Amino acid sequence: MVMDAKPDSHRTTGGAPSARPPKSRINWSWLGVVPFFAFAIMFLILPSLSIFVRSFEGPEGQFTLDNIFAIFHGRDFINAYRTSLTISLITAVSGGIFGFLLAYSVILGGLPSVARSFLLTFSGVASNFAGVPLAFAFVATIGNAGLVTRIIENILNVDIHARGFTIYSIWGLSIVYMYFQFPLMVLIMAPALDGLRREWREACENLGGTELHYWRYVALPILMPTLLGTMILLFGNAFGAYATAYAFSGSFINLITIVIGAQIQGDVLYNPGLGNALALGMIVIMSLSMVGYLTLQRRAARWLR
Amino acid sequence: MAFLEINNVSKTFGKTTAVKDFNLKVEKGELVSFLGPSGCGKTTTLRMVAGFEVPSSGEIIIDGKDVTYEPPNRRPVGMVFQSYALFPNMNVAANIGFGLKIAKRSREEINQRVNEMLELIHMPGYGNRYPHQLSGGQQQRVALARALAMHPEVLLLDEPLSALDAKIRVSLRGEIRSIQRELGITTVYVTHDQEEALSISDRVVVMNNAQIEQIGPPFEIYNFPQTEFVAQFVGTLNAVNAEVVDPKAKILKFEGQQLQTAFSLDKLHSGDKVMIAIRPERLSFASQEKKANILKGKVQNITFLGAVVRIQIGIDSLNFYMDTFNNPYLALPKIGEDVEITCSAEAVLALKERKESQG
Repeated sequence: MVMDAKPDSHRTTGGAPSARPPKSRINWSWLGVVPFFAFAIMFLILPSLSIFVRSFEGPEGQFTLDNIFAIFHGRDFINAYRTSLTISLITAVSGGIFGFLLAYSVILGGLPSVARSFLLTFSGVASNFAGVPLAFAFVATIGNAGLVTRIIENILNVDIHARGFTIYSIWGLSIVYMYFQFPLMVLIMAPALDGLRREWREACENLGGTELHYWRYVALPILMPTLLGTMILLFGNAFGAYATAYAFSGSFINLITIVIGAQIQGDVLYNPGLGNALALGMIVIMSLSMVGYLTLQRRAARWLR
Repeated sequence: MAFLEINNVSKTFGKTTAVKDFNLKVEKGELVSFLGPSGCGKTTTLRMVAGFEVPSSGEIIIDGKDVTYEPPNRRPVGMVFQSYALFPNMNVAANIGFGLKIAKRSREEINQRVNEMLELIHMPGYGNRYPHQLSGGQQQRVALARALAMHPEVLLLDEPLSALDAKIRVSLRGEIRSIQRELGITTVYVTHDQEEALSISDRVVVMNNAQIEQIGPPFEIYNFPQTEFVAQFVGTLNAVNAEVVDPKAKILKFEGQQLQTAFSLDKLHSGDKVMIAIRPERLSFASQEKKANILKGKVQNITFLGAVVRIQIGIDSLNFYMDTFNNPYLALPKIGEDVEITCSAEAVLALKERKESQG
């Protein structure tokens, strides 16, 4: 028989409180996120609510559904949404693919590390290079009187505009957007590709798999949540762009952001209620794409839960 | 003919030699461990057998077929990685059945094999879990099942237990050994843990500086190390530099004390330098039983290690360690007390002195 060295009186009984109850303590960590929430409330939630409310206001401030009906009755508005969606889809998909391939080349392609550093630095700068400077850069290079256009004309004797090319088109604007779209993809995909472990590839090979099997069954499914997330980010990036497009083509390309700008601050088309309704339409489209993204993401990332 | 042959294999990375002139023959069903410190070339050798590295020279033969330049996906080899390398996007069943899916086996066959493997690793009912929902030990068992599901001819394990805690390591290594015996699969096991290598292996290959130091059964490696490195690396050792006094009488001396060895010194001459190696457990107090050699010293420290008590004894300027089984009724000497310790001539190994330029 084994004797307990402690006298019974020293034993604690299960469930009995052994110490004073803990004081209710304030978690000061919340202070750190207060600026973020304040910012989000002031510049995201309140403006969104304002847009929602004003979409249903007439010129005298009365409730009306005319602004919403006007969107569906005005062909220009539907076309503006279509143009914006087209450019956003083109640049999100092609920027995504191009950026992914670039990131793959420098991260996993065995290129020297200097190539990686260069691309990541360039991407950091280019992904934030938008608005008037970007528009001017493209106008000055391949615009009607751009430097590159002139060089092609003078040296190669080729008039690119005579052959139907113009940068002031959906495809032209897509090229301009690509300048900041694919670098953003590179910046987000580079760490994700870095996270692919060498052992996964080797385990796949060891089990009889090829490079194709590895990408199909292992790498792409692992990257899918990041890929989907980045694509929706690129889509939103292009869908909401205004300054670049306006500085680049004025109102030549009928984007929804430019139409909204014209309705809110224009001299001729001034109709803030309609502008707010069009902006509400943008919010609805972005919300729908977010719902689509979340549904896909839930399926793609069920192994993370 | 051996089942796995590694003949004259060397591997260099630039100017660095990772493996130099490696020769080993492994019989079918045998478990051989590569044991050595980090960077000694054991994992590189394993990776060459798996096909992830191509030898700079030499050949690798499995079941009579030269696979030296075969890609990894065409070798009859299953591998368990140090970090498990389970695919995080697949559940346990999909991980285990992955190789069979790639081989385009029928769904029924895959399910049956997955269930067999889950039974083998004692994890039935875990098929739907994802790797992040398993403990480290469970993940490693799944990795083992995945490697075995394809019926490989050779199983390679690269430090499979190093990321686990001590208790699980001990139980899992027993499990690995029993599965290996049950399947009779030829296995190469890489580890830097000498206890693991000694406990699990039919033979141990001790490596150092890209080369093999000694190959032999665990008993031989531990009791009859052929080099100073093996003696030092495997187990605890009292090692002192000594001088041959009389090769015929097998007498050696160090710091004024003389020792007799049972091993031949025929190739040596009086005055030759050697290294004496004595395992701590081969020493005992002369007060209990006198053997061929008696050394006088002073107790410096006593450390309680559970089953064993380690006593540090200063002999002139040297420290010797003596291990004795823990016996609560044994009267241990006090620190500072003069004692006599003894060992048999068989306990005294005379090894070649390590050359400083080695490696």
